[in-house]
Amino acid sequence: MADIIAIVLVALFGITGSLLMVLSAIAMFRSNDALSRINVFSPATGLGMPLILVAAYVYTLWQDGFGLMRLFMALVGFLSLIIVSSVASNVLSRSVFVAGAPVWRRTSPNRLAEARDDEDAGLTERETWGDFDITDLD
Amino acid sequence: MARGTGFTGGRSCIVTIVLSICIGLLAVAILIGLLRVLTAKDMGSRAIVGDLVYFSAVGILTFIAMLVDLSIVLDVIFLASMLGVLATVALARIQTRGHR
Repeated sequence: MADIIAIVLVALFGITGSLLMVLSAIAMFRSNDALSRINVFSPATGLGMPLILVAAYVYTLWQDGFGLMRLFMALVGFLSLIIVSSVASNVLSRSVFVAGAPVWRRTSPNRLAEARDDEDAGLTERETWGDFDITDLD
Repeated sequence: MARGTGFTGGRSCIVTIVLSICIGLLAVAILIGLLRVLTAKDMGSRAIVGDLVYFSAVGILTFIAMLVDLSIVLDVIFLASMLGVLATVALARIQTRGHR
Protein backbone atom coordinates (compact mmCIF):
# COMPACT_ATOMS: atom_id res chain seq x y z
CA MET A 1 0.00 0.00 0.00
CA ALA A 2 2.80 2.40 0.88
CA ASP A 3 4.48 1.49 -2.39
CA ILE A 4 1.39 2.45 -4.38
CA ILE A 5 1.03 5.77 -2.55
CA ALA A 6 4.72 6.61 -3.06
CA ILE A 7 4.60 5.71 -6.77
CA VAL A 8 1.44 7.76 -7.32
CA LEU A 9 2.90 10.77 -5.50
CA VAL A 10 6.21 10.58 -7.39
CA ALA A 11 4.36 10.28 -10.70
CA LEU A 12 1.97 13.12 -9.90
CA PHE A 13 4.58 15.61 -8.73
CA GLY A 14 7.25 14.61 -11.26
CA ILE A 15 5.03 14.66 -14.34
CA THR A 16 3.29 17.88 -13.26
CA GLY A 17 6.62 19.62 -12.71
CA SER A 18 8.01 18.41 -16.03
CA LEU A 19 4.84 19.51 -17.83
CA LEU A 20 5.19 22.98 -16.30
CA MET A 21 8.74 23.21 -17.71
CA VAL A 22 7.49 22.16 -21.17
CA LEU A 23 4.59 24.62 -21.03
CA SER A 24 6.84 27.52 -20.08
CA ALA A 25 9.18 26.53 -22.91
CA ILE A 26 6.22 26.68 -25.31
CA ALA A 27 5.20 30.02 -23.81
CA MET A 28 8.62 31.40 -24.82
CA PHE A 29 7.36 31.23 -28.42
CA ARG A 30 4.03 32.87 -27.69
CA SER A 31 5.28 35.89 -25.76
CA ASN A 32 6.38 39.01 -27.56
CA ASP A 33 9.37 40.53 -25.79
CA ALA A 34 12.12 39.59 -23.36
CA LEU A 35 10.27 40.93 -20.31
CA SER A 36 7.25 38.76 -21.09
CA ARG A 37 9.55 35.77 -21.53
CA ILE A 38 11.10 36.39 -18.12
CA ASN A 39 7.56 36.69 -16.76
CA VAL A 40 6.30 33.41 -18.23
CA PHE A 41 9.43 31.63 -17.03
CA SER A 42 8.49 32.14 -13.38
CA PRO A 43 6.01 29.19 -13.19
CA ALA A 44 8.86 26.87 -14.17
CA THR A 45 11.13 27.94 -11.29
CA GLY A 46 8.40 28.86 -8.85
CA LEU A 47 6.20 25.78 -9.22
CA GLY A 48 7.78 23.25 -11.59
CA MET A 49 11.15 22.85 -9.90
CA PRO A 50 9.68 22.72 -6.35
CA LEU A 51 7.31 19.98 -7.55
CA ILE A 52 10.27 18.02 -8.94
CA LEU A 53 12.02 18.55 -5.59
CA VAL A 54 8.94 17.23 -3.75
CA ALA A 55 8.92 14.19 -6.06
CA ALA A 56 12.59 13.56 -5.29
CA TYR A 57 11.98 13.95 -1.55
CA VAL A 58 9.03 11.53 -1.63
CA TYR A 59 11.23 9.09 -3.54
CA THR A 60 14.07 9.25 -1.00
CA LEU A 61 11.54 9.00 1.82
CA TRP A 62 10.18 5.85 0.21
CA GLN A 63 13.56 4.26 -0.56
CA ASP A 64 15.77 5.33 2.32
CA GLY A 65 13.40 6.35 5.08
CA PHE A 66 13.28 9.55 7.06
CA GLY A 67 16.46 11.48 7.72
CA LEU A 68 16.93 14.86 9.34
CA MET A 69 19.70 15.90 6.95
CA ARG A 70 17.58 15.04 3.91
CA LEU A 71 14.65 17.00 5.33
CA PHE A 72 16.94 20.00 5.91
CA MET A 73 18.30 19.82 2.36
CA ALA A 74 14.82 19.51 0.90
CA LEU A 75 13.52 22.48 2.88
CA VAL A 76 16.50 24.71 2.06
CA GLY A 77 16.29 23.70 -1.61
CA PHE A 78 12.57 24.45 -1.68
CA LEU A 79 12.95 27.89 -0.11
CA SER A 80 15.97 28.83 -2.22
CA LEU A 81 14.21 27.73 -5.41
CA ILE A 82 11.35 30.09 -4.64
CA ILE A 83 13.30 33.05 -3.23
CA VAL A 84 16.58 32.99 -5.17
CA SER A 85 15.03 32.44 -8.59
CA SER A 86 12.58 35.29 -8.00
CA VAL A 87 15.45 37.64 -7.13
CA ALA A 88 17.40 36.41 -10.16
CA SER A 89 14.45 37.06 -12.48
CA ASN A 90 14.06 40.54 -11.02
CA VAL A 91 17.76 41.35 -11.55
CA LEU A 92 17.70 39.98 -15.09
CA SER A 93 14.55 41.83 -16.14
CA ARG A 94 15.80 45.11 -14.69
CA SER A 95 19.10 44.84 -16.51
CA VAL A 96 17.35 43.82 -19.75
CA PHE A 97 15.22 46.96 -19.55
CA VAL A 98 18.20 49.16 -18.64
CA ALA A 99 20.19 47.77 -21.58
CA GLY A 100 17.49 49.05 -23.92
CA ALA A 101 15.90 45.86 -25.14
CA PRO A 102 12.79 46.47 -27.24
CA VAL A 103 9.55 46.29 -25.31
CA TRP A 104 6.38 45.25 -27.06
CA ARG A 105 4.59 48.42 -28.11
CA ARG A 106 1.23 47.41 -26.68
CA THR A 107 2.56 46.89 -23.17
CA SER A 108 -0.24 48.79 -21.56
CA PRO A 109 0.75 49.93 -18.04
CA ASN A 110 4.43 50.57 -18.71
CA ARG A 111 5.36 52.15 -15.40
CA LEU A 112 9.08 51.83 -16.12
CA ALA A 113 9.10 53.98 -19.25
CA GLU A 114 6.52 56.64 -18.60
CA ALA A 115 5.09 58.25 -15.50
CA ARG A 116 1.35 57.88 -15.21
CA ASP A 117 0.73 60.84 -12.94
CA ASP A 118 2.67 63.42 -10.95
CA GLU A 119 3.31 61.12 -8.05
CA ASP A 120 5.13 58.64 -10.26
CA ALA A 121 7.19 61.41 -11.83
CA GLY A 122 8.78 62.17 -8.48
CA LEU A 123 6.75 65.29 -7.76
CA THR A 124 5.29 65.59 -4.32
CA GLU A 125 1.77 66.74 -3.74
CA ARG A 126 2.89 70.18 -2.59
CA GLU A 127 4.88 70.92 -5.75
CA THR A 128 1.97 70.23 -8.07
CA TRP A 129 -0.09 72.93 -6.43
CA GLY A 130 2.28 75.49 -7.83
CA ASP A 131 1.80 78.21 -5.24
CA PHE A 132 4.36 78.09 -2.46
CA ASP A 133 3.62 80.32 0.49
CA ILE A 134 6.47 81.07 2.89
CA THR A 135 4.20 81.55 5.83
CA ASP A 136 2.58 78.23 5.11
CA LEU A 137 5.81 76.30 5.54
CA ASP A 138 6.77 77.80 8.94
CA MET B 1 11.99 -3.08 -0.63
CA ALA B 2 15.55 -3.92 -1.51
CA ARG B 3 17.68 -1.36 -3.24
CA GLY B 4 18.46 -2.23 -6.81
CA THR B 5 21.87 -2.68 -8.25
CA GLY B 6 21.31 -1.78 -11.88
CA PHE B 7 18.89 0.14 -13.99
CA THR B 8 15.70 -1.67 -13.09
CA GLY B 9 16.79 -4.17 -10.52
CA GLY B 10 14.65 -4.66 -7.44
CA ARG B 11 11.96 -2.20 -8.37
CA SER B 12 8.68 -2.31 -10.15
CA CYS B 13 8.53 -1.44 -13.80
CA ILE B 14 6.11 1.46 -13.46
CA VAL B 15 8.61 3.64 -11.61
CA THR B 16 11.00 3.30 -14.53
CA ILE B 17 8.23 4.25 -16.94
CA VAL B 18 7.23 7.30 -14.87
CA LEU B 19 10.81 8.54 -14.53
CA SER B 20 11.41 7.99 -18.26
CA ILE B 21 8.31 10.05 -19.06
CA CYS B 22 9.61 12.88 -16.84
CA ILE B 23 13.06 12.77 -18.46
CA GLY B 24 11.45 12.81 -21.91
CA LEU B 25 9.30 15.84 -21.05
CA LEU B 26 12.29 17.77 -19.74
CA ALA B 27 14.29 16.84 -22.85
CA VAL B 28 11.44 18.18 -24.99
CA ALA B 29 11.56 21.40 -22.94
CA ILE B 30 15.31 21.72 -23.61
CA LEU B 31 14.80 21.12 -27.35
CA ILE B 32 12.04 23.74 -27.58
CA GLY B 33 14.24 26.18 -25.64
CA LEU B 34 17.19 25.61 -27.97
CA LEU B 35 14.92 26.24 -30.98
CA ARG B 36 13.88 29.50 -29.32
CA VAL B 37 17.52 30.49 -28.82
CA LEU B 38 18.07 29.84 -32.53
CA THR B 39 15.22 32.18 -33.52
CA ALA B 40 15.69 34.86 -30.84
CA LYS B 41 16.71 38.38 -31.77
CA ASP B 42 17.69 40.04 -28.49
CA MET B 43 20.07 38.99 -25.74
CA GLY B 44 17.50 38.98 -22.95
CA SER B 45 15.48 36.19 -24.54
CA ARG B 46 18.61 34.11 -24.95
CA ALA B 47 19.58 34.69 -21.32
CA ILE B 48 16.21 33.57 -19.97
CA VAL B 49 16.08 30.55 -22.29
CA GLY B 50 19.53 29.63 -21.00
CA ASP B 51 18.07 29.70 -17.51
CA LEU B 52 15.26 27.40 -18.68
CA VAL B 53 17.79 24.96 -20.14
CA TYR B 54 19.77 25.05 -16.89
CA PHE B 55 16.80 24.17 -14.71
CA SER B 56 15.60 21.50 -17.12
CA ALA B 57 19.06 19.92 -17.04
CA VAL B 58 18.99 19.94 -13.24
CA GLY B 59 15.61 18.18 -13.37
CA ILE B 60 16.94 15.59 -15.79
CA LEU B 61 19.94 15.00 -13.51
CA THR B 62 17.60 14.52 -10.55
CA PHE B 63 15.43 12.02 -12.42
CA ILE B 64 18.49 10.11 -13.68
CA ALA B 65 19.75 9.91 -10.10
CA MET B 66 16.38 8.45 -9.12
CA LEU B 67 16.43 6.07 -12.09
CA VAL B 68 19.84 4.53 -11.49
CA ASP B 69 19.31 4.65 -7.71
CA LEU B 70 22.11 6.98 -6.74
CA SER B 71 22.12 8.52 -3.29
CA ILE B 72 22.63 12.11 -4.49
CA VAL B 73 19.01 12.74 -5.45
CA LEU B 74 18.54 15.67 -3.11
CA ASP B 75 22.13 16.96 -3.20
CA VAL B 76 21.86 17.78 -6.90
CA ILE B 77 18.77 19.91 -6.59
CA PHE B 78 19.94 21.46 -3.30
CA LEU B 79 23.22 22.76 -4.70
CA ALA B 80 21.78 23.68 -8.09
CA SER B 81 18.96 25.72 -6.61
CA MET B 82 21.33 27.69 -4.40
CA LEU B 83 24.00 28.29 -7.05
CA GLY B 84 21.69 28.69 -10.03
CA VAL B 85 21.42 32.40 -9.34
CA LEU B 86 25.05 32.97 -10.33
CA ALA B 87 24.54 32.25 -14.04
CA THR B 88 21.50 34.50 -14.20
CA VAL B 89 23.20 37.39 -12.41
CA ALA B 90 26.29 37.03 -14.60
CA LEU B 91 24.12 37.18 -17.74
CA ALA B 92 22.34 40.21 -16.29
CA ARG B 93 25.68 41.97 -15.79
CA ILE B 94 26.65 41.13 -19.37
CA GLN B 95 23.42 42.77 -20.58
CA THR B 96 24.30 46.13 -19.07
CA ARG B 97 28.04 45.87 -19.84
CA GLY B 98 29.01 45.84 -16.18
CA HIS B 99 26.76 48.58 -14.85
CA ARG B 100 24.49 47.68 -12.01
